[in-house]
Amino acid sequence: MKRTSSALRSYIWLTGLFFLLIITLPANHLTMQQYKLSAVQYHTLLLLVELPLVAVWFAAFYGYAKLEQYATAIRDTPEGPAFQQLANGCKWLAWGLPIPSLLTLLLGAIANNHASFHATTIIIGNYAGLIFPLIAFGFISESGRELIQRAKLNFTATTAKNIQFIFVVLGVIYCYLIFRHLDLHSIAATNNQYFLPVWLLVLTLIIPYLYAWFIGLLAAYDILLIARTAKGIFYQQALRLLASGLAVVIATLIAVQYIRSVLPRSGHLSVSATFILVYAIYAATAAGFILMAAGANRLKKIEEI
Amino acid sequence: MATAQSPLLYDKVVRVTHVYLGPAADRFIARQVQNHLHKSPQELSPPDLLKLIDWIRLGVSLITDDSEIVEEYANQLLKLAQSPGKSKSQA
Repeated sequence: MKRTSSALRSYIWLTGLFFLLIITLPANHLTMQQYKLSAVQYHTLLLLVELPLVAVWFAAFYGYAKLEQYATAIRDTPEGPAFQQLANGCKWLAWGLPIPSLLTLLLGAIANNHASFHATTIIIGNYAGLIFPLIAFGFISESGRELIQRAKLNFTATTAKNIQFIFVVLGVIYCYLIFRHLDLHSIAATNNQYFLPVWLLVLTLIIPYLYAWFIGLLAAYDILLIARTAKGIFYQQALRLLASGLAVVIATLIAVQYIRSVLPRSGHLSVSATFILVYAIYAATAAGFILMAAGANRLKKIEEI
Repeated sequence: MATAQSPLLYDKVVRVTHVYLGPAADRFIARQVQNHLHKSPQELSPPDLLKLIDWIRLGVSLITDDSEIVEEYANQLLKLAQSPGKSKSQA
């Protein structure tokens, strides 16, 4: 209960700050011109556009809080540390939703008045979008491996090959789509939408993203495998809910990152097909977090009755 | 201590419960015995079994709406009541 209220308190603070920034920060002139908006209309539109995101944050904070409660309930059991790692991973995933948004909003406002800051805004936004899932998937992957080892499970050769194949296809398409935006005549050129030299982009964005997605997808598979083979009808039902939710969360967040990095940030509000697609994926992320919370809640109940 | 040939009644109850609650089985039964029968798990004896089954039925109903599985679980435990194992004091 304490953990839910602590997570929800954090959520309320972050949301409050976010809304405050939306209302008080100066409007983006480019967007105002593009959509022929007054300053008030701009702020109202931005508020409405960001509302669904705030709902996704709520699902994320609620989900990780429930998982933390369960991890705490079983902290002295053999599987306790693995679930604690999982809860930590989900906490990073949840915090990784509002923090980059807040940062982008703040930096965007600065860039709005100082055009030379635009590149910095985009660069920081891209790294902020990377760092949270990278850490989160690391925790989740550790947890999945620990649970897999405890249950003495492992991939079959076919599964390993399938995972490798899917990953290679996704990775190669990703690189192709990114490189389309780059001037490949010089690896030091920064005249691209990422405002980074090609070598730096490859080393500090593309490779870490691919690595994060790889361990994220593997972790999702590990957790699903554990849930599928877990003993105990009621325990398995609850664990399946949690695992399915987590797999949806991981898959959808990877999808959003994929789209966001393939179609670089513009640094201002732009209502496009990509924007709608990202929102639809975020809706699935929220559903995933809710499923995860329901599973964790049920597992916790088993430990309480 | 119980021998390998005659496990404690508590262990038998946990073994049946494992089918339904997996790794949470041991903790679940220990809690039921301690909280509702006010005994240590090892002291669980055949006369306690029916009362324990009632508490288990009630508890499990809180985590599932599937009354069929709840009844199946209770019946598995009732079978133990008909051929109970030993409590610590008997072992």
